Amino acid sequence: MTGYILRRLLQLIPVLILASIGVWAMMYAVPGGPVAAIVGDNATPEQIAAVTRQYGLDRPIAVQYLDWFGSALVGDFGESYYSRAPVLQLIGERLPATLHLAVAATIVALLLGIPVAVASALRPGTLLDRILSGWSALALGVPTFWLGILLILLFAVELRWLPSASGYVPIWEDPLQALRNLALPAITLGVYVSGILARFLRASLVTELRADYVRTARAKGLPERQIVWVHLMRNALLPFITIVGLMMAGFIGGAVVTEAVFTYPGLGRLLIQAISSRDYPLIQGCILVILVLYVAINLTVDVLYAYIDPRIDYR
Amino acid sequence: MKAAFGILGRLMIRPGSALAVLFLTIIALAAIFADLLPLDPFRQNLLHSLEGPSAQYWFGTDELGRDILSRVVYGARTSLLTAAGAVAVAALFGIPIGLIGGFFGGWRDAALMRFVDVLLALPAILFAMALIAVLGRSQVAAFIAVGITGIPAFARIVRAQTLALRKRDFVTAVESFGGSSGYNMFRTILPNAWSPILVQVVVLCSIAILLEAALAFLGVGVAPPTPSWGEMLRTGKSYLYEAPTYALLPGIVLTLTILSFDTIGRALGSLLEDRHDTGTATAGGVTS
Repeated sequence: MTGYILRRLLQLIPVLILASIGVWAMMYAVPGGPVAAIVGDNATPEQIAAVTRQYGLDRPIAVQYLDWFGSALVGDFGESYYSRAPVLQLIGERLPATLHLAVAATIVALLLGIPVAVASALRPGTLLDRILSGWSALALGVPTFWLGILLILLFAVELRWLPSASGYVPIWEDPLQALRNLALPAITLGVYVSGILARFLRASLVTELRADYVRTARAKGLPERQIVWVHLMRNALLPFITIVGLMMAGFIGGAVVTEAVFTYPGLGRLLIQAISSRDYPLIQGCILVILVLYVAINLTVDVLYAYIDPRIDYR
Repeated sequence: MKAAFGILGRLMIRPGSALAVLFLTIIALAAIFADLLPLDPFRQNLLHSLEGPSAQYWFGTDELGRDILSRVVYGARTSLLTAAGAVAVAALFGIPIGLIGGFFGGWRDAALMRFVDVLLALPAILFAMALIAVLGRSQVAAFIAVGITGIPAFARIVRAQTLALRKRDFVTAVESFGGSSGYNMFRTILPNAWSPILVQVVVLCSIAILLEAALAFLGVGVAPPTPSWGEMLRTGKSYLYEAPTYALLPGIVLTLTILSFDTIGRALGSLLEDRHDTGTATAGGVTS
């Protein structure tokens, strides 16, 4: 097991190096190169020369990369062009807000997705199954940002129950305000994720329902409730864990969009602001941090999977 | 041609996909013939800004007094063009990658599939945003960014098809007659792999339209004043209290377009599955 985890960690190294080269090379792919990225298109030759010297852009390209990578490894992504604050500090200020949103949206997704999947898997082909499958199609097809707008129109504009723009309130400081601010973004993102969840969990449940142990359990006269939630769910959730990576990709994209809809001060909005102000160190920092989080979660899930299911060969 | 009409006929039997085909036909015709309609997406009339739907302005007006219906119709052009461009980019790179990987196997396959895996692992919207940060905002940047995120789906499907067809007698026959690998891949295998590719084209259209709209909504898509559904939702969101229909109506058209492509894609998938083993990717989880 330890060997397996080590091997998975080793496999990550080339992926992260490739990703870091890609993110670093962004600056060099900008028309005009990194100098134009720093001083803009209308710089004087003196400014260009000064920036070239200051940032060491006259050094060999490999040295420039290694220098940047070495700093990034210890969390130094440089300073934001715009606010002059260290990039890592800006990201650190936004991360708790995004984590709040992620946890809240996951709870919504589980509360919506699991019952939908179970109800439709138990009655395949019926009207209920078709309606609930339509739910997944709708949850995935309706653009996240438009669903967010609809929720704002209903709950903020019409009913005036909830704020139309959500601020970040730490849940341990003021739970009620935190929930009021998180409710709409969490539903918006959670509905989308529940669509992915329901679609895959239903497929997994339908396969498991045909298994012998289900017939045995029924023959023993166990109540259906116990068969589903004790016997079936344990087995159906296993293959489901493998799609968590796919869900994560959707989750990240959805979070960026959701934060924009509700002007929620998270990492996604920081990235959008950085892109519109062409703040390249901040763009690089945000993308790298999101990628590392994404890879780390995928790794954790893989290891958990091997740990939970002894049938997995993790040599 | 006959086969195409046969499939269309079988699609039209199902009420859901018939509605989807009808809706998309209207959208496509409107986008193509927008110039012939009495519509002007750019004419401003500040005296009539942010009005609700009326006899003169069916969908109301935006903050500059422009006709929202006109902008929705011209926005269809932006959406469909981006989708077409994105599908072209994805197919242009994805299909050869899949063919070469599946046909030759070995190190070429391993290298290409590793590349595809890396692309697949990246959250599509994040990748597209990074690319646009580099290329700048334009329609071409939007469809290149969206198209690249679609490469893995094509590559994987075509590779699976190629692997299945590679050992079939008609491929071996061409080989034994001295047909080149290129001829075999593009003239023998590819024409036999069209049905899952077709399904993927339709599914990717829905993903591309959604992603384009999401990018425009985030303010990194097609640059204004070009009408775009996502951009309209972005601006409309600022006027939810004054003009709720501003964001509502373009959103309905956008959602119906995405759902229509998705419905047709899934219907095609199950129709063609009877004939071939397709193994296509679903729309779920790829976009935002």
